Amino acid sequence: MGIFDFITGRKKPTPGELAKERLKVALVQDRMKVNPELLELIKSDLLTAISRRLDVDEQHVEIRLAREDHWDKLKAEVPIKRQKISFEWDPPAHTTAVTGLRGKVTVEVEKDDESEL
Amino acid sequence: MESRVITITSGKGGVGKTTTTANIGTALALQGKRVAVVDSDIGLRNLDAILGLENRIVYDLVDVVEGQCRLRQALIKDKRLPDLYLLPAAQTRDKNAVNSVQMEQLCQQLRAEFDFVLIDSPAGIEQGFRNAIVGADEIIIVANPEMASVRDADRIIGLVEAAGKPEPRLIVNRLRSDMARRGDMMDVADVLEVLGVDLLGIVPEDEMIIVATNKGEPIVFEKRSRAGRAFLHAAQRIMGEEVPLDEVTEVPSLLERLRRLVGFGPALAEKRVRS
Repeated sequence: MGIFDFITGRKKPTPGELAKERLKVALVQDRMKVNPELLELIKSDLLTAISRRLDVDEQHVEIRLAREDHWDKLKAEVPIKRQKISFEWDPPAHTTAVTGLRGKVTVEVEKDDESEL
Repeated sequence: MESRVITITSGKGGVGKTTTTANIGTALALQGKRVAVVDSDIGLRNLDAILGLENRIVYDLVDVVEGQCRLRQALIKDKRLPDLYLLPAAQTRDKNAVNSVQMEQLCQQLRAEFDFVLIDSPAGIEQGFRNAIVGADEIIIVANPEMASVRDADRIIGLVEAAGKPEPRLIVNRLRSDMARRGDMMDVADVLEVLGVDLLGIVPEDEMIIVATNKGEPIVFEKRSRAGRAFLHAAQRIMGEEVPLDEVTEVPSLLERLRRLVGFGPALAEKRVRS
């Protein structure tokens, strides 16, 4: 835990906290008899269902078990691919450096993890 | 008084079931209760050694169950306390030498003679464990604040519930409060949060336990031992007394540490017992 963790607001979990978190996940698995293979099946079911409606980034889908607030939970993180956006660009008159560019502009943003950050 | 049969179990081995049984049994007997401690770890007996009674065994639990001797003949009277008896396990047999029906009958027989019957369960979840809990009114689970032990305790809690027994109570044993405070280990609160059962006691890690075990003397006799006091408190809670859970927060003051150094330990345990 250094000064940078403090600045970024991220704190490395202590070994005790780590043990507790690992234990919670293990217990959920034990109690519900869920194994990693079953999780993979659920994941692919979820993906089929969601991608019918939304454009999902299948590479970064994460699904796991957790225990929070006395509940055993199945937590899924499903990143959605950004859509192509287009909009009318009509800069206000006071905008400096108006170079006469007016009209319809199309901005294409495709989700690209690393370069974005 | 109606007698109570209490089984001490843990799932995982080596967390302190036998030490807990010996000490709570001794503490209850110190308070004037008639107590039988039963070693149900057939084939791997150890409760006799912790009580320092290993060289007095003639008959054992299996002999009683098989009718080779009467119950009274197999019960070994403690050297120190007149109201404490041990029923040792057989050493040359295995867990399948006894079945659940026989075990339940044995508990009934013991009920007639004692206020408290404490059964030391073997590790594991097999026949030996099932035999140990079949006749019990209450279950005490011993767990250390580490992953393997708590995980096994969780499994045991499930099995105890499935057997139709009331919710077990927990003793957190071998707590190293310095490590827990630094975050290097799970704390009692963490263990309770995960297991969701009631707490019966917190026993700190204590080197004096090893010394006591070597001598064959339960640690509750050692007035300076924090673990000994913790076991006494647990026994008092079993008897329904309100004892604050101060085992962890209790940090010895400088004066007290100095006093211990010079050899005048706190006579707390002794006072509580005698009153």
